[in-house]
Amino acid sequence: MESGLTSLLSVSIDFETSHLLFPRIVHWVMGILFAIILVTKTIPFLAAVKRGERTIPIVGESMDGFRFFGTLALIVAYFYLMAVVGNLFPYTGYGFLFVSMVFVFLMSLMYMHEWTKKGVIIVLVNAIVAPSLVWFILAKLFKITLP
Amino acid sequence: MEFLSFLDFSFFLLAGFGALVGIIFGAIPGMTATMAVAVCLPLTYALGLHHGLALLLGLYVGGISGGMVPAVLLNIPGTPSSITTTFDGYPMAQKGEGERALRVSVIASVIGGLISAVVLFLFAPLLADFSIKFSYVEKFLIILLALSVIASLSSNMLVGIFSGVIGIWLSLIGTYSISDGGNGHTRLMFDFMEPYLFEGFSLLPVLIGIFGISTILLEAEKGVRSELASERVKLGKSSQFSFSIFKGRLTNLVRSSFIGTFVGMLPGVGGSAASVLAYTQEKNLSRDSSEMGKGAPQGLMASESANNALTGGALIPLLSLGIPGDSTTAVLIGAFTLQGIQVGPLFIPENTDTWYIMMTALVFANFVMFFVMFYAIKHIAKVVMVPKYILYPLIVMMCVVGGYAINYGIMFDVWTLLIFGLLGYLVQKVGLEVAPLIIGFILGGQAEVYFVKSLESFGTYSIFFTKSPIAVVLWLLIAASVIFSVVMGLKNRKASREEASQ
Repeated sequence: MESGLTSLLSVSIDFETSHLLFPRIVHWVMGILFAIILVTKTIPFLAAVKRGERTIPIVGESMDGFRFFGTLALIVAYFYLMAVVGNLFPYTGYGFLFVSMVFVFLMSLMYMHEWTKKGVIIVLVNAIVAPSLVWFILAKLFKITLP
Repeated sequence: MEFLSFLDFSFFLLAGFGALVGIIFGAIPGMTATMAVAVCLPLTYALGLHHGLALLLGLYVGGISGGMVPAVLLNIPGTPSSITTTFDGYPMAQKGEGERALRVSVIASVIGGLISAVVLFLFAPLLADFSIKFSYVEKFLIILLALSVIASLSSNMLVGIFSGVIGIWLSLIGTYSISDGGNGHTRLMFDFMEPYLFEGFSLLPVLIGIFGISTILLEAEKGVRSELASERVKLGKSSQFSFSIFKGRLTNLVRSSFIGTFVGMLPGVGGSAASVLAYTQEKNLSRDSSEMGKGAPQGLMASESANNALTGGALIPLLSLGIPGDSTTAVLIGAFTLQGIQVGPLFIPENTDTWYIMMTALVFANFVMFFVMFYAIKHIAKVVMVPKYILYPLIVMMCVVGGYAINYGIMFDVWTLLIFGLLGYLVQKVGLEVAPLIIGFILGGQAEVYFVKSLESFGTYSIFFTKSPIAVVLWLLIAASVIFSVVMGLKNRKASREEASQ
C-alpha cells in the first residue's frame, strides 16, 4: 500500500515541458473553484435575478453610459495619439505634453455637469498648466523618458 | 550609525512632502493611499532608493490617515479603513465638534502609527532571521499560507481564493524565465503576442492600472457626481479640544494599535478589517460603550489608532518574507523592484542602512502627519472640495507617466494600464476581490519557481509534507485558516438565517 502511495506521489519533471507543469495545476484549481462558485453562488444569484430581486452587474445596472464609454474612448485615443505625435518629435516628450493638454481639457469638460464660464476657464488653465508642469519636472529636470 | 550620513535635508523634505500629498489623497473620497503611492511612483524613478522610499512611506502614512477628514466632516470614509471613524466622527461634527473630533483622531493615528513602527522594528528582523533557513519547499508553503489567509479573511472564502488564483494565472503569462532556472519557453498566449508579452505583464503598470484607471472607470460609470454639492463642511469651534479627553483611554489606544498591527500583518486584509475589529473590541470590552455610535471620542480613538497601525504591520511580512500585507505595500514591492532590490528574508541583513532609513522615514512621516493634521486641519478640510473633474484627468495623466517610464519607454506598458484598468473594473463589478488578485499576481511567479524546483530536486509531491517540522507547522496553519473561515462562514449563515426568520 505504501509503495503504491509513493509511486502515486512521485513525479519526474521533463525540463523541456517544465514550463507547463505549474500552469496546468493552476488551470485545474481554477476550473474546480469556478465550478464550485458556479454551483454555490452563480446559480442562486441567477435565480434571484429571475425573481427580480437582484440585477446582473454591468448589464442590468443603470450607468452613466455617456461618461463611461466617453472615458474609455478618450483614454484609447489618448494612448494612441500620444505615440503617434511622440514619433513626430522623438525624444522630446512633446507627444505626451500636447496630447495630455487636449486630453485633460476634454475629460474635464466631459465630467463637469454644469458648464459655467468660470468653470471652463479653470479647466482650460488647468489643462495647460498641469501637463506643462509635469512635463517640465519629469522630462526636463529628472530626465525621465516620456512619449 | 552609518546610515545617518544618508539622511540629508531633502530626505526629510520628501518624507514630509509625501505625508502632505498622502493626506490630500486620503482626504478626497474615492482616492486611496494605494492610489497615492501608485500615482506618485514616477517621481521616484529619478530619486535614489532612500529618497524614493522616504517619499513613498510618507505617502502611505499620510494616505491612510487622511481618510479621517471626510469621514468626520461629511460621513464619507475617505479610505475604506476609516469606515468606523464615521460612526462617531460625523455625529460629533453635527454637534459642532468637528475640529475636536479630528484632533482626537489625529492623536490616535500618530499613536497607532508609532506603536506599529516599534513592533515592526523589533519583529521584522526576527521573522527574517527565522525564515532565512527556508528552502524552496517552505517558501512555497509560505506563499500558500499567505493566499489561504487572504482567502479566509475575505468576505467569501471561495471568491477570495478564486481571485487569488486568477492573479497567479495572470502572472504566469510569458516565459518561464531562464534566470529563475526555467527553460525559457512561453505559455498561456498566442504567438502573435510574443513580442509584447515575452516577459509577461510588468508589475507596476498592472498595479497602476488596477488601482488608478479602474477607479476612474468605476466613478465615470456613476457619472462623476460631486457628493459635496449640498453639504457644508462643519468644523466647529477650535477651542474645545484638550488632552484630558485621553484620560483613561490608554488601554483602548494600545489594544487598538496592536489589533491594527496584527491585522496589517495578515496578507491581503484591507484596512477596514482592522478598524472594524478594533471598534467592536472597544464596544465589547469598555465599560462605557453605550455612547459609541452617537459621537463618543473613544470610538474615534479605536478606529483611527487601528487603521494607522496597519502601516507598520503591513510592512512586516513585506520586509521579512517578501509578501505584501496589503495593496499599498504591494505597490511598494514594485518600487523596490524598480530600484533593483529584492525584498525577502535577506533584505534586512543585507541592507541594514536601508532598513534603518525606512524606519526613520516611517517615524518621521508619522510626526509630519501629526503636525500637519493637528495644526493645519482647517486648510486640509477644504481639499475635499476640489472638484473631481479637475482631479481625474490628472490622475490618468500621472498613470500614463508611471506606466510609460517604468521600462524606459515601452508603449505596451501604457496599454497594460488600460487592459488592467478594465480588468480591475470588471473584477469589482462581478464581485471578485482585487487585493487577493494582486497578491496572487505578485507571488505567482515565485510560487511556480519554488514549486517546480522542489519537485525537480525531490521528485515526489510528498516532500511538501515531510521536508521539515516547519513544513508541517505551515500546513497546520493553512488548515487552521481554512477551518477558521469555514466556521465563520457557517456562523454568519446561521446569524443571517436567524435574522431572516425574525
